[in-house]
Amino acid sequence: MKMDNIESLISKTIYKASLYLDEFRWDDWLDLCDKDFYYSIQAFSPEIDKNMIYLDGTFDQMKGITEMLPKHNTDRSPLSRHTVVYTIDVDNEKGTADAVSSLAVYQTQLDGINSHVLAGESNLFMVGKYRDKFILNNGKPKFIERITQLDTRRLDKGSHWPI
Amino acid sequence: MPARNLQQWKEVPGQLKPGEYVDSRIYSDKQIFEEELAKIWKNVWVPVCHESELEKPYDFRTVTISREPVIVVRGTDNQVRAFLNVCPHRGNMIENRPSGSFENGTPSGAPKHMTCMFHAWQFDMKGNCVHISRSKEGYQDRLDCKDVGLRRLRCEVKYGGFVWVTLNDKIEHSVKEWVQGSFDCMQEALDAEPLEVFHYHKAIIPCNYKLWHDTNSEFYHDYLHYHNRVTGFNDSYFARQNKVFDNGHVNVGSFEVQYDNYEGFESREELSFPHLPANHWEMIDLFPGMNFNLRGSALRVDLMTPLGPDKVMIEYRGLGLKSDTPEERLTRQRHHNSIWGPFGRNLHEDLIAVSTQQATMNEWADARRILHGRYEGETIHDEVGMRHFYDEWGKWMDRWPGDPELSYDEGLKKVA
Repeated sequence: MKMDNIESLISKTIYKASLYLDEFRWDDWLDLCDKDFYYSIQAFSPEIDKNMIYLDGTFDQMKGITEMLPKHNTDRSPLSRHTVVYTIDVDNEKGTADAVSSLAVYQTQLDGINSHVLAGESNLFMVGKYRDKFILNNGKPKFIERITQLDTRRLDKGSHWPI
Repeated sequence: MPARNLQQWKEVPGQLKPGEYVDSRIYSDKQIFEEELAKIWKNVWVPVCHESELEKPYDFRTVTISREPVIVVRGTDNQVRAFLNVCPHRGNMIENRPSGSFENGTPSGAPKHMTCMFHAWQFDMKGNCVHISRSKEGYQDRLDCKDVGLRRLRCEVKYGGFVWVTLNDKIEHSVKEWVQGSFDCMQEALDAEPLEVFHYHKAIIPCNYKLWHDTNSEFYHDYLHYHNRVTGFNDSYFARQNKVFDNGHVNVGSFEVQYDNYEGFESREELSFPHLPANHWEMIDLFPGMNFNLRGSALRVDLMTPLGPDKVMIEYRGLGLKSDTPEERLTRQRHHNSIWGPFGRNLHEDLIAVSTQQATMNEWADARRILHGRYEGETIHDEVGMRHFYDEWGKWMDRWPGDPELSYDEGLKKVA
């Protein structure tokens, strides 16, 4: 397969993942991932001079987390991911690829603090980068790792959802 | 009883007595908030950071207590000291970064000194002024370094290596005297070997600081948390005892958490803190707004910085043993953050609840009663912790929490 086609497929996979996550289509998101997939949300804290892992899990653990969501109380205000793929580096010999995307996540209030006043308002929720790794099976990319590296460290109420 | 009309709504519900509820204005009134900063927060010990955040000489951390900027530094003698982070010259904040080291120079200053970047006055790690730019030319003999040291603050390193600071030079208690035995339940675990912070995040939440403290001290709200219901809610959970201490502090007694009951979670037994029985969970709520929460393999510490009547910054720290291997640390971090991180199962739920609680108590809303009248033999769903806190609060504020227009003594007469 031509390099252009592989890069295009990887970009499309990253953008599909953003849409599926926006729409709470957790199973569709995980369908884009290999069974050896590892996910994490990380941030560096200058306060303690350490990298932190806020959330992580294997494919099965992320499936478990997303299946448990209906049992948990949460802020139902949806998140919208604005993703821009910056770089894709394909290793044809290994059949892998790395991609870096810029990420901004907006939250549009539904619950808010007082929905009568706040519902409909959009705010920047977090910014960061996706650092993705792919495995290429017959030219078809599947996520094998996603590190959501956050610049934003003041997350206030936080979230139950993968980003 | 059907829904109540306005008159019925304003009446004390049921047979509850004064002291078993508070007036919602204590969560929203600006004057009360200002009094709280002046009367309480400027006069108590605050665990502002952990010693592992200042590992080497010249390391520093900057924090705030009751709107006052504070800098904590480790000296060449390895002692941790605290100062107002204010230059005695023109009142500039000396250091703006959250953390770092003075080992290397800054654009305005020499290595191994705290330097105010504005006019390059320099201070050593003991807070002594050691350099005034063009001192003789400007001040002749009217002022020199010995006149303009930093404002030092009382500081102790205690209970697992936390750095406790107070703005009150004349405070009567040491930290040990202040906490009144409330650390007895976990001191052995905290002081067995050095600890290290592995997690830090903060949240600024639209709620009064006391609402967060309430949530840390009352476990009746475990109905909010699916995780806590399935891993607790058995006989030993309902037998957990609350224990009160002088100065408004409270312990929430331990029990064995059944982590395996939550799908995908595992026992914390292998990485239990020293001297803590496997999967046990001890908690200390310190007046007026700190929480030490030791849960199996990880210690969580909350520190509140009140920012307004309806605004609080909460700093969350996660700690493990300094001797952890990288693998142990990763597991400990996972245990901590899967429940208490910004994407954890419980913390998000708690923060939603206190935000929507405050939304009904803004300064324009009618005053209403907030109940804490549950009695269950001082066990886990007994609201004795909140009653104890508000009794202490009333003494410090000389206000009756159930009607803040009354003095504490006037309120006591109502109870009598």
